[in-house]
Amino acid sequence: MKVSRRSVLLMAAAPFVPIVPASAQGSSSEGMVQQLNLGSMGGGTNPQINFNPFAPNKLSLGTMFEKLYIINDYNCDLVPWLATKYTWKDPRTLDFVIRTGVKWSDGQPFSAKDVAFTFNMLKKNPALDINGATQLMSAVSANGDTVTFTFSAPAAQAFYQIGDTWIVPEHIWSDQQDPVKFTNPKPVGTGPMLFDHFNSQELVYKRNPDYWQADKFKVSGLRYTKPAEGSADQLRLANGEYDWNAMFVPNVQKVFVDRDPQHNHYWFSQGSPISFSMNLTKAPFNDVKFREAMAYAIDRDAIAKKAELGYVTTASQTMMQIPGQKDWIDPKIADQGKIAYNKDKALQTLTSAGYKQQGGKLLGKDGKPIQFNFMVPAGWSDWIQAAQIIQRNLADLGIKMNVETPTAAIHDQRRASGDFDTLFTVPAGLCSMYTNFSLPLNSAATAPVGKNATSNWIRFKDPATDKLLAELASTTDPAKQKPIVYQLENVMMTQYPLIPLWYGAVWFEYRTEKAIGWPSESDPYCSPNDTELVLMHLRPPK
Amino acid sequence: MVYFLRRIAFFIVTLWAAITLNFIIPRIQGGDPAQAIVQSFAGQGQGVDPAQVQAVRLMLGIPNENLFQQYIDYLKAIGHGQFGLSYTYFPYTVTHMILQALPWTLVLIGVTHILSFFIGTAVGAWAAWRRNQLFDSLATSISTFLGTLPFFWTGLMLLYFLAFKLGWFPDSGGYSGHESIAFSFSFLKDAAYHAILPALALLITGPMGWIMGMRNNMIQILGDDYTRLARAKGLSEARIAMMYGARNAILPNVTAFAISLGGIMGGSIIVEQIFNYPGMGRLFFESIGNHDYPLMQTIFLFITVGVLTANFLADMLYGVLDPRVRRGGR
Repeated sequence: MKVSRRSVLLMAAAPFVPIVPASAQGSSSEGMVQQLNLGSMGGGTNPQINFNPFAPNKLSLGTMFEKLYIINDYNCDLVPWLATKYTWKDPRTLDFVIRTGVKWSDGQPFSAKDVAFTFNMLKKNPALDINGATQLMSAVSANGDTVTFTFSAPAAQAFYQIGDTWIVPEHIWSDQQDPVKFTNPKPVGTGPMLFDHFNSQELVYKRNPDYWQADKFKVSGLRYTKPAEGSADQLRLANGEYDWNAMFVPNVQKVFVDRDPQHNHYWFSQGSPISFSMNLTKAPFNDVKFREAMAYAIDRDAIAKKAELGYVTTASQTMMQIPGQKDWIDPKIADQGKIAYNKDKALQTLTSAGYKQQGGKLLGKDGKPIQFNFMVPAGWSDWIQAAQIIQRNLADLGIKMNVETPTAAIHDQRRASGDFDTLFTVPAGLCSMYTNFSLPLNSAATAPVGKNATSNWIRFKDPATDKLLAELASTTDPAKQKPIVYQLENVMMTQYPLIPLWYGAVWFEYRTEKAIGWPSESDPYCSPNDTELVLMHLRPPK
Repeated sequence: MVYFLRRIAFFIVTLWAAITLNFIIPRIQGGDPAQAIVQSFAGQGQGVDPAQVQAVRLMLGIPNENLFQQYIDYLKAIGHGQFGLSYTYFPYTVTHMILQALPWTLVLIGVTHILSFFIGTAVGAWAAWRRNQLFDSLATSISTFLGTLPFFWTGLMLLYFLAFKLGWFPDSGGYSGHESIAFSFSFLKDAAYHAILPALALLITGPMGWIMGMRNNMIQILGDDYTRLARAKGLSEARIAMMYGARNAILPNVTAFAISLGGIMGGSIIVEQIFNYPGMGRLFFESIGNHDYPLMQTIFLFITVGVLTANFLADMLYGVLDPRVRRGGR
């Protein structure tokens, strides 16, 4: 109870609580970062206690649980965490060496057995397997400090899914008859934060003094709140009520930074590329020359500046994220695969492929004017604006594109069943190169029109690409993966199955009043999504 | 007696129709609840992992029997008062979610609704009594003006000025983070403090309909022969106003009020959205967005049953109050 009083103390909105010096807390607050105010606590509009890390509606976990590896979302570094090392014996056998000396927050020792237990539980309860970590896994076993995974097929990409899975304590979870319905009200984890208290307005964590890297972890607590509605939450941000938030703010310089230029900062880094995607079963999209023309016909800069308010950068046709993944781009590809807007080249490509412009209209090879629909979810206003820019770009070529805006649910359903002409998709941007290309391009992830496809909605089918993906899955050495990834990038550069346009922004606003050491454009040591890495870097201001 | 039996039969048939529509409508909405939930937690424009969508689909155990079997199961479940697990708040039950949200809406909307009725009726009666004088013109013109303002605009203005500019009231929520829900003085005080702003927004627009209705009824009645007779008899002004005018004029308003009680829950969506109030309206709104069939269905059911029951009671009340209705055309 002592600790919850402390969190009350730090709340600006509690004037009636007497101010007690932080040192009264006992623990060394010297050199510590005070409790930080964060945004959304998660869990929907009526949040309920749910610390099941595998549930979609869980509350913000505040680093209570940890993973074997942290995959740096910005530069794709692999940071050993609960595991110290991994080795591929062959593409079907993966070993992790588990860190020793780690304790669960209830004092019990953490071991390789907990790791094996977690993955066995996910295998038995696929409803918990949110990463698909056990899809190819045939067995997992612990032997001393080593956990060995075996797979039913070559699965080099599985490292990313397994490394990125929360590890839970066997001594708590093995008692659960149905772990899918377990809300884990008294969470026990290995992480630097401990659950303190929750109600539907705030969720508070306190520092775990017995954390295995406690000497490096200086943040004394986290306080998540229930966000206010839309623009009201922006006003809170402007008032300095959040030390860390991830929200879209129009005109962030004026609305947020200018309110307190000394402390208010933001860094919108590059997220997953958003791509103009065509239904490849239909004409004219089944013509590679038409798709190539589309790559030149769309003014990506206008989209970045107008629809996305200049917060984003234009994307590379290779689908790699620039700058985070620039080392993965084939050096032979010009301009890192960024294609500049060139209306004339687009028209030239079309006419040399047999399309004709007549009376301001572009005629297809069958002599009929080309017109098609673009589908975008209702209410996604920046995407709708981007679609309207494309609409104008294509009108310049004589192509009529109608923008239709069904509800998101209908959009997703029609996307899955192939009932569309063109739309935006967000296929890649992950650190697993296999997944980046497999989700949108693997023929195993598609289905005939009328049947639901899992992720290859454009219905791209290319045996050569499938072969490259299979090769990538059996190649465990990153140095040997590169040439294969280069070839997949060249599929993108020559066949244009998708036209990546811009990188979605990772929203990130922060204040340096209580803490410094945040990732930023000048010090991009990780993505703001890597909560653990960010918190490990924070220090009190001097 | 025939009248009452006929009303009861009508009530049962409409109730069945409402329950059935309630089953059908969400299902023709289309879309995959698992996809909708994962996307809503990921946020607009974010890619979602198909593995996660698949996991959620398995978690919810979305039924794959035929629609008729689902309908039978649904009727059985309603008969037993079992509404299942919410999709959005899995593994919490629909009943748990509704019981948590219902008191907030009942207190906030219920109290302001009743207050609106009394304020509106009193103002309307006074305006009619003083018709064509200063109070009447002020009351009618101001209420017409305020009544045409969109509710969300009034709400946002209040929020901006009273919560952000002046900081007099909290900007959102039903209570402060440092309180825990309990039947204690400090919690009730805190909850009341949070309710002031949304209540104010409701009270600005709420009484308008009642004012106009009451004023018009009463003006008509004050012109009737029996009122003139009362005046000719030399009864006191107060007695004419209260016992002759207001008492008769209020009857249509009472029926309208009974009917409007059923709509309380439906009317709470906008106010709860604006003020981030933890009631039924927000819950309902979210359940639609997430394709949370069990939750959506149950709230729909509450609303329709509420409206139907209120209508039914109003019909009954009318039958008691006015014998002409009971006898029908005869």
